[in-house]
Amino acid sequence: MKLVKCFVVVCGLLSILAPSSVLGESGTVVIGLQGPITGAWAYEGQMAKQSCEIAAELINKKGGILGGKMIELRVVDDAGEPKTGALAAQKLVGQKDVVAAVSTYGSSVCEPASNIYERFKKVNIGYGVTAVRLTQRNFTYFFRTCGRDDSQGQFFADFIPKKFNATRIAIMHDNTAFGKGLAEDTKRALEPMVASRGIQIVYYDAITPGERDFRVPLTNLRESKPDVWYFTGYYAEAALLVSQARSIGITCPFIGGNAAINDEFVKIAGIDIAKGCYMTNEPLPGDLPYQEAREFLASYRDRFGEIPSSPWPIYAADALNIIAHAVDKTGSTDSGVLAKYLRDEVNGVPGITGPIGFTDQGDREGVPFYLYVVDEKGNIVVSR
Amino acid sequence: MELRQQNNQRRLLDFGHPQIVLIVSAFILYPFFVSDYLIDIAFFFGIYALLGLSLNIVLGEVGLFDLGHAGFYAIGAYTTAILNTRYGVPILVLLPVSAIAAGLFAYLVCSPIIHLQGDYLLIVTLGMGEIVRLALINNPFDLTGGPNGVFGIDFPSLGTWFVIDSSIKYYFLIWIVVALSIVGLTRLQQSRIGRAWNYIREDEIAAKASGVDVRSFKLLAFILGAGLAGVAGNIYASKLMCVSPESFTFWESCLMFCIVLIGGMGSIPGVIIGAAFISLFPEIFRPFAMYRMLVFGSAMILMMMFRPGGVWPRKRGAVSFTSLLSTNGREHG
Repeated sequence: MKLVKCFVVVCGLLSILAPSSVLGESGTVVIGLQGPITGAWAYEGQMAKQSCEIAAELINKKGGILGGKMIELRVVDDAGEPKTGALAAQKLVGQKDVVAAVSTYGSSVCEPASNIYERFKKVNIGYGVTAVRLTQRNFTYFFRTCGRDDSQGQFFADFIPKKFNATRIAIMHDNTAFGKGLAEDTKRALEPMVASRGIQIVYYDAITPGERDFRVPLTNLRESKPDVWYFTGYYAEAALLVSQARSIGITCPFIGGNAAINDEFVKIAGIDIAKGCYMTNEPLPGDLPYQEAREFLASYRDRFGEIPSSPWPIYAADALNIIAHAVDKTGSTDSGVLAKYLRDEVNGVPGITGPIGFTDQGDREGVPFYLYVVDEKGNIVVSR
Repeated sequence: MELRQQNNQRRLLDFGHPQIVLIVSAFILYPFFVSDYLIDIAFFFGIYALLGLSLNIVLGEVGLFDLGHAGFYAIGAYTTAILNTRYGVPILVLLPVSAIAAGLFAYLVCSPIIHLQGDYLLIVTLGMGEIVRLALINNPFDLTGGPNGVFGIDFPSLGTWFVIDSSIKYYFLIWIVVALSIVGLTRLQQSRIGRAWNYIREDEIAAKASGVDVRSFKLLAFILGAGLAGVAGNIYASKLMCVSPESFTFWESCLMFCIVLIGGMGSIPGVIIGAAFISLFPEIFRPFAMYRMLVFGSAMILMMMFRPGGVWPRKRGAVSFTSLLSTNGREHG
């Protein structure tokens, strides 16, 4: 009868697992947060949790939504693993009072989780999921407040030709998966402008990372007479490229991708060469100019002593804000109504990371990227 | 011979054990009373049970240290993912294909290293598991999708009229596979092969001296273990509908190792209990968030202090020659 005893114990353990109370306190709107609270990305998950807490607190302080209902945050941990992500999503969809979920950090965790949210018809908004394919599945309930892997190329195409009044554009990459990907995305984003705006891609080629002398490709670059020059590789090559380019008389603005410029770049190239070099990058929380951002970051600093050090947690706060906004405006907690509202009606709603809107696929409208520049002292600051 | 066959027949359809009937009916009834979340936990319990059983062949039966078992699991999952998404091969057809792919891989990789002993084998298999994972990240021939993995895997289905698409159906799929594996492995334990394996584990030199083909039997254990892990990979891939390298880390290999050690080396009920411990424990203690792994670790240490042989160590009585021939030779196992 030993086995029977074991069975009883197992059953006992399982009953502990059963959700104790699935109903939130009456008068609250429950929003779920699925994130990597433990595991390899615990740091990101903890900051996302804190950000959502602050966001919910700010809404509640202003009197809540739907005329006085408070926001309640319910956190589930996905440990940054696809398997646990699926379980976490299953846990949230099983709780009937959860209106929608902020979910999650990491594209490969989001994939199985969003499948489950979709099947159980629950709005889920990703905050650190950049794989392009996530929004190409024609899902009804999946959205994201962050950009995509190809957002940076799109940002370059939208912003740079206007800012520098440039028509002749040179793109140089380094054949790594990241560098080549960014270069290809940029080229693709520029292509529609070839006819309409007279933009030409005058140079598109790769260098070999690890080399020391780039004069041959740079001479070709000089012959193509670009107005701006975009390099999508890493800082070590970027620093050498800029130094050598200036020495052979290439004077056009240098713009690096988000891996090209950092303090190390400034050190290798020297301040004289590095100053005035540009970089496309995700805005860091402290650089956001919006009123909502200032208010949010002030509260965050009050509570936790410092502002989030990564760009992603504030997208989680924005995801929570937009869910609250949608519930407030529609007066409904029905997933179908909310998804339709988010897709069709939300447009330019002020958020911490700027105006929020969604495309038909559920992508964030507008591109959350900034142009940074190396200043006279060698600091990397937002180029205004 | 005839007698033995009769004996086996009886054992397969043996309803003389009320405990077994009770446990099986509990497993059948369980999903009808609980939420999808709890069914999914039981599903992953099943996946770990299958993985534990597969490693148990190598580690438990033959005593070969294998810390790269997640590699075989990954090969099974990726075989399924790639063949299904690229060529549209149905998942259930890929179930044996994944097993064969993982088994073949084990044969190729383990052939040259099979003579290694103890810790040395452990290090080599550890490296092998990591190499598989790194290869998947590096996207060879544009097949594995790099760090993002492969996505859009189908549900297992028989034509269009029976599609395994809900938690409860997946639950039955995995547990039927586990049940079949248990039946097969129990019978394997009692066979010539199982005895040869145990002989090698207890004393390799004596086994060799008695005419046991040590090399072949060790390889066979690796191939069977890898094949079963490949089956687990297949079901896992179709359940999550996507595979990515972070599902097959060194940590997964460690967990499988723990399952076998906690349960008791070579003991099939032990492996099931070990799998329950490994898969249910983190979920129960998830509310403790940051302290979860601490609690988990201390539980493991206490466990090893007070029950070093595992929760359910394998008991093996001496088997007399006549009892092997008689109809009620059931004292072993």
